[in-house]
Amino acid sequence: MRSEMDSHRIDAKDLRFWLRWLLPIAVACILPLFLNHSWLSVLIEVGIMALVGSSLNLLFGYAGMVSFGHAGLFTFGAYTVAILLHYNYAPFYIACILAPLATSLFSIIVGWFCVKRVEVYFALLVLAFAQIVYMVAYFWVDFTGGSEGLTMLPVAHFFESPTSVYYLTVWTVGICLFVLYAIGESPFGYALRAIRENRERSEFIGINRKRYILLAFIISGFFSGIGGTLMVIHERAAFPGYAHFMKNAEFLLVCLLGGMNSFIGSTVGSFFYVISDTMLTRYTEHWPIILGGTIVFITLFFRGGIMGFLEKRYDLFKRRREELK
Amino acid sequence: MSFDFIVLQLFSALSQGALIFLVAAGLTLIFGTLKVLNLAHGSIYMIGAYIAYTVANYMGGIIGHFYIGIIMAAVVAGLFGGVMEAFLIRPLYKLDMHFVFLLTFGVIFIVLYLVYIVWGALWHSITAPDYLMGAMNIGGVFLPKYNVFLIILSFIIFAAIHLFINKTKLGLIIRALTADRETVSTLGYNVPMTLTYVFMFGCALAGLGGALAAPIRVIVPGIDELALLDSFIVVIVGGFGSITGALLASIAIGLVNAFSFLAFPKLAAVFPFILMLIILVVRPRGLLGKPI
Repeated sequence: MRSEMDSHRIDAKDLRFWLRWLLPIAVACILPLFLNHSWLSVLIEVGIMALVGSSLNLLFGYAGMVSFGHAGLFTFGAYTVAILLHYNYAPFYIACILAPLATSLFSIIVGWFCVKRVEVYFALLVLAFAQIVYMVAYFWVDFTGGSEGLTMLPVAHFFESPTSVYYLTVWTVGICLFVLYAIGESPFGYALRAIRENRERSEFIGINRKRYILLAFIISGFFSGIGGTLMVIHERAAFPGYAHFMKNAEFLLVCLLGGMNSFIGSTVGSFFYVISDTMLTRYTEHWPIILGGTIVFITLFFRGGIMGFLEKRYDLFKRRREELK
Repeated sequence: MSFDFIVLQLFSALSQGALIFLVAAGLTLIFGTLKVLNLAHGSIYMIGAYIAYTVANYMGGIIGHFYIGIIMAAVVAGLFGGVMEAFLIRPLYKLDMHFVFLLTFGVIFIVLYLVYIVWGALWHSITAPDYLMGAMNIGGVFLPKYNVFLIILSFIIFAAIHLFINKTKLGLIIRALTADRETVSTLGYNVPMTLTYVFMFGCALAGLGGALAAPIRVIVPGIDELALLDSFIVVIVGGFGSITGALLASIAIGLVNAFSFLAFPKLAAVFPFILMLIILVVRPRGLLGKPI
C-alpha cells in the first residue's frame, strides 16, 4: 500500500517524470476554451482543495499525524488577506505575499503547542486552535465582519475575470504541489516517513521528532495559507465558514478519498470530492446522505482510497502480463 | 455585583455543567474503554432530543409522558449506538484510529439528514411537567426548578455510574478491558459483546442528555455540533475515561462559560477551548486521567 509514495525519485533527466507534471498543467491550461465560467470556478475550488489537501497530507500521509484543524490555518491565511485588503492596510500583491508568511508564523505558534503531543491529543489540539480561529472570525463582528464575513474585497482589476483567477490557480497550485512533492522526496520527507513507521525507533536513530514535525507543520501551514489566499482572490470575500468544524474533516476526507499513501492522492480526491459535491447539490437534495454514505463506505471497504485501488489493479495487471509471457 | 447575582451565576454554571456532564460522561466512558473517539456522539444527543419530543407529544394525555419520552430517548439512542458499534466500528478496531474518526464523521451527515427528512428544519420544543416549571425560593434566591431537577438528576446518575464501574462485576470487567483486552479475552469473557454494551450505555447517556436538555434548549438540526464540541473539551480536560474527572471538567466549563460571558460577552465561546489548551499543555492526561 505504501509502495507508490516510496518508489519515485526525482530524476532531472527523466523525460517521463517531467511529462507527468507538465502534461496535466498543459491540459488544465487548455480547458478554459471548452468550459463555461461556472465550471471554471468549480475547477478553481478543486485546485485550492488539492493544495490544502496535499499540504495536510505532508503531515497525515507522510508523518502519520492526523491534524483535525487545517481549516483553521486555511482560514487564517484567508482572513489575513481579507483584513489587509478590507482596511486598506496593504496593496493587493503585498497582501497576497504577506498572508502565507503570516500563516507560517501562526503555524509556528500552533505547532509549538501541538507537537508536544501525539495521536488524538495532537489532532484535538489543532482542532482547538481551528475552533478559536472560527470563534474569533464569527464573534468579533467589528473587525472580522462576523457571520457575514468580509465581502466585496478590492481585488486587483486583473483578477476580476474568472479565467485569470483560473490561470493563477493552475500555476500557483502546480508549482506548490511540485515543491511539496520535492519536499516529500527529500531526506526530510524520508525522515517524516520514518516517524510514521515507528516513532520510537526513529528517535533512536537520531531523528528529533518534535523538530521535524514542527517543520512539517510550518510548511503545511504555509501552503494552506496560499490556499486561503487563492480562496479570497476567487470569492473576493472571506467567511467564518471556512474554519467551520466540518471543513476540517472535508480536507481529511479529500486525503483519504484519493489515498493518503500516494502523493497525487489528495489531488485525485479533491477532483472527485468537489465535482461530485457540485453535481450532487445541483441534481439532488439528498446529497448529505450520499456524502455521509460514501465516507462510511470508503472507511469500511476502500481504505486505500482511489489511488490505492488503482495501484492494486495495476499490480494485478502487471503480474498477469508477466505470467502470460 | 450583588450576592444574589453571584449565586445565580454559580447556579447557572452548575446546571450547565450538569447537562454537559450527562453527554460527556458517555463519550469519556466510550473513549476510555474502546479507545475510539466517536464523532457521532453529538448526533446521538440530537436523536435523543427528537425521540423525546416525538414520544412526549404522541403520549400527550398520559400521566408521566415527559418521563416516558426521556426513557425512550435513552433506549433508542442506546440501540442506535449498539447497531453502529456492531456493524460499523467493530471492523475497524485493528486499524489506525483515524478510520473510526472518519467513519463517525460520515455518520454525522447521515443522521443530520435523516433528522431533516423526518422532523424538518423547524424548531421544536418540549415542555416539562408543571411542577418542574417556574422558580423556587432557596434562601431568598429564586432558582428555576427545572435546573435544580437537572443538577440533582446528574449527581444521581454520576453516583450510579461510579458505583457501577467500581462495585459490580461487569464494572470490573470494563475496568480490566481498559487495561488489557487480550488478557480479559483469555479469561473467558466475551470481549466484543462487552465493548458493545459499553458503547450502547455511552450512547444511551448521550440520548438522555439530549432529552433532558430539550425543555431548556431548542430542538433543531445542528444542535449536535455544540454538544459534540463541549463533550470533547470535557473529555480532554477531565482525563480520558475518568467519570469523576468528567464531572469536575463539566462544572469547570460551566463556570468558565458563565463568568467569561460576563467579562467578554463577544468572545465567551473561545474560553472553554483556551481552558482545554492550557490543560493539554500543562497536564496532558487531564485532571484525573491515568498517566500516558
